[in-house]
Amino acid sequence: MSLGFIQSRLQLSRSSRGRQLNQLRVLSQRARSLRMREPLPSPQDQTAACPRRRNAEPTMAQLVGPLRKELADSLSSCRVLVVGAGGIGCELLKNLVLTGFKNIEVIDLDTIDVSNLNRQFLFQKKHVGKSKAQVAKESVLRFCPSANITAYHDSIMNPDYNVEFFRNFQLVMNALDNRAARNHVNRMCLAADIPLIESGTAGYLGQVTVIKKGQTECYECQPKPTQKTFPGCTIRNTPSEPIHCIVWAKYLFNQLFGEEDADQEVSPDTADPEAAWNPADAAARATASDQDGDIKRVSTKEWARSTGYDPVKLFNKLFKDDIMYLLTMDKLWKKRKAPLPLDWTEIQQTECSQEEACGTGLKDQQVLGVQGYAQLFHRSVETLRSQLTEKGDGAELVWDKDDPPAMDFVTAASNLRMNVFSMNMKSRFDVKSMAGNIIPAIATTNAVIAGLIVMEALKILNSDFEQCRTIFLNKQPNPRKKLLVPCALDPPNASCYVCASKPEVTVKLNVHKTIVQALQDKILKEKFGMVAPDVQIEDGKGTILISSEEGETEANNNKFLSDFGIRNGSRLQADDFLQDYTLIVNVIHSEELEKDVEFEVVGDAPDKAPAPSAPEEGKNIANGNKDSAQPSTSSKAAAEDDDVLIVDSDEEPSSSTMDASQESSNRKRKHHDADTDDAASKRKRLDQQPADDDEDIIALD
Amino acid sequence: MIDTIEKEDNIISEEEAAQYDRQIRLWGLDAQKRLRGSRVLLVGLRGLGAEVAKNLILAGVKGLTLLDHEQVTEESRRAQFLIPVDADGQNQAQASLERAQLLNPMVEVKADTDEVESKPDDFFFQFDAVCLTRCSKDLMVRVDQLCASRNIKVFCGDVYGYHGYMFSDLGQEHHYVEEKPKVVKASNEANDAPEAKKPKIDPNETTMVKKTVSFCSLKEALEVDWTNEKAKSNLKRTPADYFLLQGAVSERCSAQELFLLRRPEGQRGGRLLRIQISGPWRTRERCVAMHVCSRNTMEFIFCQCATGIKICLLDGTFA
Repeated sequence: MSLGFIQSRLQLSRSSRGRQLNQLRVLSQRARSLRMREPLPSPQDQTAACPRRRNAEPTMAQLVGPLRKELADSLSSCRVLVVGAGGIGCELLKNLVLTGFKNIEVIDLDTIDVSNLNRQFLFQKKHVGKSKAQVAKESVLRFCPSANITAYHDSIMNPDYNVEFFRNFQLVMNALDNRAARNHVNRMCLAADIPLIESGTAGYLGQVTVIKKGQTECYECQPKPTQKTFPGCTIRNTPSEPIHCIVWAKYLFNQLFGEEDADQEVSPDTADPEAAWNPADAAARATASDQDGDIKRVSTKEWARSTGYDPVKLFNKLFKDDIMYLLTMDKLWKKRKAPLPLDWTEIQQTECSQEEACGTGLKDQQVLGVQGYAQLFHRSVETLRSQLTEKGDGAELVWDKDDPPAMDFVTAASNLRMNVFSMNMKSRFDVKSMAGNIIPAIATTNAVIAGLIVMEALKILNSDFEQCRTIFLNKQPNPRKKLLVPCALDPPNASCYVCASKPEVTVKLNVHKTIVQALQDKILKEKFGMVAPDVQIEDGKGTILISSEEGETEANNNKFLSDFGIRNGSRLQADDFLQDYTLIVNVIHSEELEKDVEFEVVGDAPDKAPAPSAPEEGKNIANGNKDSAQPSTSSKAAAEDDDVLIVDSDEEPSSSTMDASQESSNRKRKHHDADTDDAASKRKRLDQQPADDDEDIIALD
Repeated sequence: MIDTIEKEDNIISEEEAAQYDRQIRLWGLDAQKRLRGSRVLLVGLRGLGAEVAKNLILAGVKGLTLLDHEQVTEESRRAQFLIPVDADGQNQAQASLERAQLLNPMVEVKADTDEVESKPDDFFFQFDAVCLTRCSKDLMVRVDQLCASRNIKVFCGDVYGYHGYMFSDLGQEHHYVEEKPKVVKASNEANDAPEAKKPKIDPNETTMVKKTVSFCSLKEALEVDWTNEKAKSNLKRTPADYFLLQGAVSERCSAQELFLLRRPEGQRGGRLLRIQISGPWRTRERCVAMHVCSRNTMEFIFCQCATGIKICLLDGTFA
């Protein structure tokens, strides 16, 4: 029996939501055990399941010299949850098991891909396509058959994994690659009051930190920059960088073959403020039928369908006709180089220009010429067209960087557009990096981070919480020759919109233009990390705006907020019962939001560009540096100290993954030099030696 | 040598490109080719050795030789993840071979059961890089010296419970490249178009800058004279584990036998002692290495160790 069924059976009146919640929790726990999952074993099941242990052999823990017996024992009995079985997860599972942890549960929704094999060492080529969690468990059991591992091929955001589930564990360790899941686990661990070790890697960089309710910052205490988006007119009219063309090509894919999205328009944007026609002219343009004929009034997909997805017609529309239209918006080109349209026939007739010899690069690293990309465009459109036909009526394709024709299409389309806008074209290899949000990854960074995670875990289990730190793994040693830099943990942010006692936020939007669906998806889910929000209006009547129950409030989705009496100063109460999270949203009505901006969270830092600026770094190091004994050059320090990224490294999911809503983002975290000799140092600056060494040799006792 | 890439290694197969994709995107195709052309020796297949083996094999070196003369015991088996559970009594390198190979079939993984001390000089010359774990100080110094003459890179390391060290000697003249953002130069072309109308240079483009650095030998690193002023002023910044290298390494204590005490006392200097403790008290610890301890501290230890305990003082003293 499914959880959904249980939930609907419990439809009680709105005022008894609290009670409903408790019953939901209890029943969901039962439901889960009713399902055919591997049962959660209790500690006494161990010996039964592991006959080898009956011979009282020395445990692994006792053999790892430095662990005291008490700690070794608690490792054997405690239960830990590992969220993610990828780069960090594989290393972490290995470390946990070799350290002596016995009861481990691991969850991952993903399946194994060949590109994982350079670092996710628990997987081999023969495992490609299988569940990561499952294969990881099997591989670990091969070298430690007595380990008690439960594997879940599932999303941690599945409501089955409720607060009760999390309460089973003494410790949760994240090995994730996306922010949505991190936010979610953060809230679940806060709700369950279980310590969480958070970590991340990107290339040579990595970071580990500890999150404990009430004692440290939670994952969401510090606002993180949202993923960089580009204004619609940049994508549609005036691209200036390859990434703009690549984003355009991905939008185009969706418009032609996938789910059409109103926010992913590809045709020239006549409403571009820069184009600034006089009103009469603008009106004329809006209604006139130009050489595109009726294109403006039909969707891109419909038009493509009407031409039978003819590649040549498509080519000429996108790279000739639409470009010529853009050229008529002459104000745009006063200060910019104007785009140069391409014509299919002309391209076919020109001499094939000498392309860069393949030479020493990968095949994918070749940069083709215009002809090459035109051919690639033609081929990929035909292939995708047949894929679409095969799937039948109303079919939609989902873009996947690992699907060759989809990747070919974006490579070709983006390069043709780059050529039109006089940019140097990019190889498939580079386009894939950008289009697929690929974060380079190696085994060793993950190995180091996983080692640090276990070190923090031991501190927690040893009740040495004061010893816990945030640790940054840098690419270069800092001026003190440290590659690993620990920092003290920060206390919770009193105004955190997640872990503060009664969190509130203020959101600026247009109540006449924002629909309920947007509130749910863009604001509560995407921005505020809720998974299944319930929203009521604080209007004295507790009017329900959104229900997490499927179908209940569907009728509200396309209505405007103002239709419900929501106006400037209204307060909404948003709950996510799974996350045990309540957020009050104060609404400010505004009609002056920037173009393409649907809402603004008041108090948010403005979006920062991902790349660090050297003066910024220098300022930080200098400000943080109170130690006069520091070696001279703080400016030199700035140059050598890299800012460290905590990276949510979402790759575009392959079609085998279940979670379709992932985003990639970077977070700059100013790291603090941990060494100091100054007794009166700032809290963040720590002694090089661990604290216990300052004590007398009572350590011998 | 890995400075030159052999002709037949120039082509990366599709299989390699797919498997190494994420790391090629980090360190570049050129670096991947160099890895692909290098042969590495790894001595010691305990916990540390297994990690090194894993990382090198996953990275895609040409060949890795696992050298270990010791036999699998329960303790050694539980320290690492390559040895099967039924392999007690087998040679450690042999036992690790199968799982090591499975990590990446494209690497040639071999096992050698000889003792490293017995290997002649020219044995090491077949490798581009040598990794030594759990080796004696004398052996490490010897290998480091003979490898220097052939520009073979040497890495030494060991772990002792929560402590460990790694030492690298990449030679007197180690050439490398550093990735730097491309500096956009002003155009020399006669051009009357405004700046913005020129084709854009991708701001994310980088360029490789050639550099050279010099490494000191292991012998030099171990023979630092701590009595001179310069060394003493650096004492505070020197990690205590350096002295681990001096003390514990020379006698190769195992993890359970070492207890490291540190008591930074600034410039006042101190004495490095090694105390051998035998007897029922603290049966796990046999070796206490003290770094920069005060006189009071030393006396305290002597008292603690009084009953039936052997104490000996060791090298590494400094005023």
